[in-house]
Amino acid sequence: MQFDSLTFLAFVGGIWLIYQLTPERYRWQMMLVASLGFYATFKAPLLLLALCAVTVLSFELGRRISRETKPSRRGGLLWAGIAANLSILCLVKYWRPIAATAFPSLAPWCSEAGLFVTIGVSYFTLQAISYLADVYLEVVEAEPHLGRFALYLSFFPKLLQGPIERAGDLLPQLKASYRCNYDNMRSGVLLFAWGLFKKTAVANRLAPYVNTIYGDVRAYGGISLMMATYMYAIQVYADFSGYTDMALGVARFFNVGLTQNFNAPYLSSSVTEFWRRWHISFSRWILDYIFRPLQTVWRGIGRAGTAAALLVTFLFSGIWHGVAASFIVWGLLHGLYLAGWFLCAPVVSRFFKRLGCQNHPALKVAGVVLTFHLVCFAWIFFRANSLADGIYVSTHLLSGVGGYALAVVSNFRDLLHHKELWDPILLGKTLPVFLLLLASLAVMLAASLLHGRIRISAHPAWFRWPAYYALVCSIALLSTFDNVGFVYFQF
Amino acid sequence: MISERLRKVILTQLELDDFPLEESTLATTVPGWDSLSHARIISAVEAEYKIHFKTVEIIRLKNVGDLQALVDRKLS
Repeated sequence: MQFDSLTFLAFVGGIWLIYQLTPERYRWQMMLVASLGFYATFKAPLLLLALCAVTVLSFELGRRISRETKPSRRGGLLWAGIAANLSILCLVKYWRPIAATAFPSLAPWCSEAGLFVTIGVSYFTLQAISYLADVYLEVVEAEPHLGRFALYLSFFPKLLQGPIERAGDLLPQLKASYRCNYDNMRSGVLLFAWGLFKKTAVANRLAPYVNTIYGDVRAYGGISLMMATYMYAIQVYADFSGYTDMALGVARFFNVGLTQNFNAPYLSSSVTEFWRRWHISFSRWILDYIFRPLQTVWRGIGRAGTAAALLVTFLFSGIWHGVAASFIVWGLLHGLYLAGWFLCAPVVSRFFKRLGCQNHPALKVAGVVLTFHLVCFAWIFFRANSLADGIYVSTHLLSGVGGYALAVVSNFRDLLHHKELWDPILLGKTLPVFLLLLASLAVMLAASLLHGRIRISAHPAWFRWPAYYALVCSIALLSTFDNVGFVYFQF
Repeated sequence: MISERLRKVILTQLELDDFPLEESTLATTVPGWDSLSHARIISAVEAEYKIHFKTVEIIRLKNVGDLQALVDRKLS
């Protein structure tokens, strides 16, 4: 059941109604059943089994860690929990290659039985590990109730793609008594609609362009490869942040505030800042549970220790997204950006200070442009179907660009009549289809720039309602429901 | 109460002339004290007092007051 489907809308409506009618003391049970039922709709029995195993194991180990007083035994229990959760994660995620190699005759049956579906497992296992680490570090107390703990891991709005919630943030909200809140409902509907727009009008419209080019990279020149890479950068943002907005919106119907995963990431003026604004719940996770311990252990070797910790942390990030070589290169690239910047930043900072322009706005703009391009370069490997494709794209981005630029300049007055100059940009689509895409992008950009400056709910009805209608009309006119899956479902 | 000695070590590492450090001060509220500079500050504190913190002790620190308490415990 996809978030951008009518079935999901009906499901949420039905669950909300039943939630209102359910007595307070039974609400958590009702929500747990609904969440597990939602997960069961993916017809992947191995996933439900994995969720149950992670829940029971982490719950029991959390209680044991909190009861244990001997530091070495507490550490042992924590490591046992981490190992168990990672084993379950690896088994589910890599069951397909294992089955294909070890039991080739069983692989088709496994595929038919839904045993290769991996949706959500990466998120609830990381959440379980964060719970165990927080209990160990005494940041939170161990949850004494198995049912409530199960709901913390399986709460359906964030089950498939996060955000990865900390126990200290989510558990108290799931335990709080519920009263229908009009403001939460209104802002939840608005956020859901906005997420739906980003997914269906922007990400779904960009997907065919990107898929066409990245499906056969050797058939295209530099301009098309560059276009597809920029488009993918926007697609993956609209897709994932659209999903997150929908998840946050649905959670608000039940008075639950989930972590905001995005904060205008492409306006970052350094890659360090980018990771504070992109997939925030995951960045926080790798920062707190991988980078910080490594950096602390390696602090004896000075700045090199921090740089090495950054590299290892982002190598993990790449592997978490997939064991394919292209994901590893993507993770390593980000690790190199961050480690390189960490080592060079003091020198660069001193250089600009000496010139007296360290706070010049042009420097900030240059930082934003450079960061965006570094991130786009890494996206090439993230999107490419193989490492060979990624290397091909990254080494052919400028092929034919000079000749194309010359042709554009020499035919500038008569551009509309030179179809051959539009082909690398339109990528086989018609001009009206391309203009619809630009309109969707313009709406998203305008709304993103206004976000934070204008709080719609704080304005009177004469302002609010036209804004709501504008959003509904934008969805109706610009959306395309082509059943394009969410990019991050595969992780 | 944050000692002048600890305050001086932290501010020197952050290249700050002055900044009020209270027990409840969080690292994130001090200019320049982020996850990247954290290890450098902790190493400088260890070197200043000639003490050694365990990894888990460092990770458990929540604010400057916790750091002061940890230093005091190590020295006592």
